[in-house]
Amino acid sequence: MSDRDKNPLASGPQESIAWNFKLIAHHELNGFGGMGEGMAIQVAKDGRRILWLAHESAPKNFTAVDVSDPRKPKVVCQTDLPHSDVRSNSLELTGDILAVAYQTKQPGMKPAGMDLFDISTPENPKLISHFDCSGPMSRGVHQLWFCDGEYVHMAAGAPDFLPNNQLDDQCYRIIDVRNPSKPHEVGRWWLPGTRQGDNVAPPVRHKPPLPDMGFRAHNTNVYPQRPDRAYLGYLDGGMIILDISNKSAPQLVSRFDHSPPYAGFTHTLVPLFERNLLVMTDESVVDRAQDWPKLVWILDGRDETNPIPIATCPLPPVDSWANRGGRFGAHNLFENTPGPHSWYSEDVIIGTFFNGGLRAYDISNPYQPKEIATFVPPAPPLSKAGAIQLNDVFVDERQIVYTVDRLVGGLYILEMDF
Amino acid sequence: MRARRFVWTHMLELFPARTIGPFGRRQRHARGGKIPVTVVTGFLGAGKTTLVRRFLATEEGRGTAVVVNEFGAEGIDDALIRTSTDETVLLGNGCLCCTARTDLQVALRALVADRARGAVPHFRRVVIETSGLADPGPVLQTFATDRALGGEFHLELAVALVDAETALATLAWSAEARKQVILADRLIVTKVDVAGTALAERVEERLRALNPHAPIERAIFGRIDPQSLVAAPAPPMAGGAGARGFVAEAAHSDGIASFVLAQEAPMPWAPFARAMDVLTSLRGPDLLRVKGFVAVEGCQGPVLVQFVQHLADAPVELQAWPDGRRGTRLVFITRNLPERVVRDLFAAVQAVAAPP
Repeated sequence: MSDRDKNPLASGPQESIAWNFKLIAHHELNGFGGMGEGMAIQVAKDGRRILWLAHESAPKNFTAVDVSDPRKPKVVCQTDLPHSDVRSNSLELTGDILAVAYQTKQPGMKPAGMDLFDISTPENPKLISHFDCSGPMSRGVHQLWFCDGEYVHMAAGAPDFLPNNQLDDQCYRIIDVRNPSKPHEVGRWWLPGTRQGDNVAPPVRHKPPLPDMGFRAHNTNVYPQRPDRAYLGYLDGGMIILDISNKSAPQLVSRFDHSPPYAGFTHTLVPLFERNLLVMTDESVVDRAQDWPKLVWILDGRDETNPIPIATCPLPPVDSWANRGGRFGAHNLFENTPGPHSWYSEDVIIGTFFNGGLRAYDISNPYQPKEIATFVPPAPPLSKAGAIQLNDVFVDERQIVYTVDRLVGGLYILEMDF
Repeated sequence: MRARRFVWTHMLELFPARTIGPFGRRQRHARGGKIPVTVVTGFLGAGKTTLVRRFLATEEGRGTAVVVNEFGAEGIDDALIRTSTDETVLLGNGCLCCTARTDLQVALRALVADRARGAVPHFRRVVIETSGLADPGPVLQTFATDRALGGEFHLELAVALVDAETALATLAWSAEARKQVILADRLIVTKVDVAGTALAERVEERLRALNPHAPIERAIFGRIDPQSLVAAPAPPMAGGAGARGFVAEAAHSDGIASFVLAQEAPMPWAPFARAMDVLTSLRGPDLLRVKGFVAVEGCQGPVLVQFVQHLADAPVELQAWPDGRRGTRLVFITRNLPERVVRDLFAAVQAVAAPP
């Protein structure tokens, strides 16, 4: 019996919720609306504003959408992957150079690495170079960060990176792309004990009922306010702050690992420099919220060597949302991505929560985050989850909000009204 | 609850940011993340139900939860009804309606809990249709503290409907009807098409005498601009730009006075809060309503304050002055508390706070 049978008033996955967000456009991206977690804005030389979007999985590589008029988005470019065993779920850009991550289904496959494209003509991206990360135990690059035009910070395997456990195959790598034709690695860091030959014991793996998701890098954020720091989500390893003042030898500053008892998959760590706060997410990766609770955490970062959790961002009751379809729980945040075409906020946090949609929180009192806006579109037609699965969010400096569905729904463009 | 003192600000000062003022995040709208509430008052037959029903069918009215706070009146649901449980009726256009048979607070608390767990559609505003005979004071009071429902709901505006045909007689005999008019942020004259413009103009003259600060609109055949139920009018300027001090504008037979405090120069928060402390603690029952913007030293935008009797809503700093004109403008509606006394109190407290 469905919730709606029990209560004819019950809200369901077909309901549309728009609370202090106003939907101004929706684009299904030519039928390929299963989107990943790479979103970046380019303002092209002719003045057009182009939103570059990574796809969740094959067959598409990336899609560029002209959002100069956010009410009338137009697809200007959509590219294909070479085969169906590779995905490119992450991208970033600086100026007219686009970096795209490639991850294969199995270790040893290709292409596993990063492409750099010249996108000065958005309709016709030109490959500048491919940085190969393939290897016997490498699946390539899951996520990358590229905001200063000089270095790409990535969660990646490497030909010579042989983990003790295949699940730990992606470490933190720093790639110098100042000559985009010849990218080369300048440094890397991995959780001690995860690489074969390390002189410390491997980390204790998560045991059932917790899923063992791996000790590997996910988001690898570096900001101009602190170019000597990298802020990592390290999946089952928790959050990690590194000193990268010497890029060839990153040093651990701190690690906060709340799992177990939590279920790991720490995904994103965003520092709020002015306020000495950190915002951290754990990704929900199991349908029906079976890995609940996956939360957005607020941490006191006044002492970066000792981050202290002080609050989480409230979500609606899990028992009402777990069965709406697909996943329910935290995933991506708008990360105050550095760049001229990005919003910046230290008092409002915006995140995606799969079937929980897009939610904004006022954290002006960081001890009591308060939800101030919600956007949950109805289930997209043909979604195998039977519900929306909002996956990522980007906000531009015009305060236009872009969010994408993980499975089929494509791009939703919103205005903030709080 | 006493008027809020800002003892908690030291917690926020641990994590300061340029975008955060002493009252928290600077908000685009007064409601912030709270659910806006419109209170609709008006005597029986004034056309509340017709007006609300038409509003629900508009784009602005989509996703409205209507709480009918009265006994035995016809419902708004006959035309729109889709399905219902015992307490709540689901209407078209994402709207729902529930009847607060016993306690308005219980009904509102249940609504907000049901909204969070998805037991009712995710409504985006609440319209409370009050009983025709009701004194609106207690309803407004429901939202005037963040201890109870004020943390979830924001009283956006109170609208009073006035039947042009019968208003002059009703206002003459009924203190409740006068109070509905006096406490309203906006007045809507209904049935103008029946009463004729001449009578409507006399009614409006009477309304202006009772409540000189609320804009007056006319509903023709039950039609109004839906924004009239959504957005509070900006607090009125008093005595034109540059005015300083109080301007007495109305005094009523019930001992009720209504006046505007206007001051162009920003004032420090402390003397304002202390003066309001004195008023709320000593004369709370006679402070029927105080609402408006305060120009606070050190704040970029206006600080919105609302008091009902001894209760104070949490102040909110807005991102910008709505019409670009800075300056404190507060509407006071008081009983047996002359504006001269309030003016002298504010002057004295400001003088104590800032000796020459």
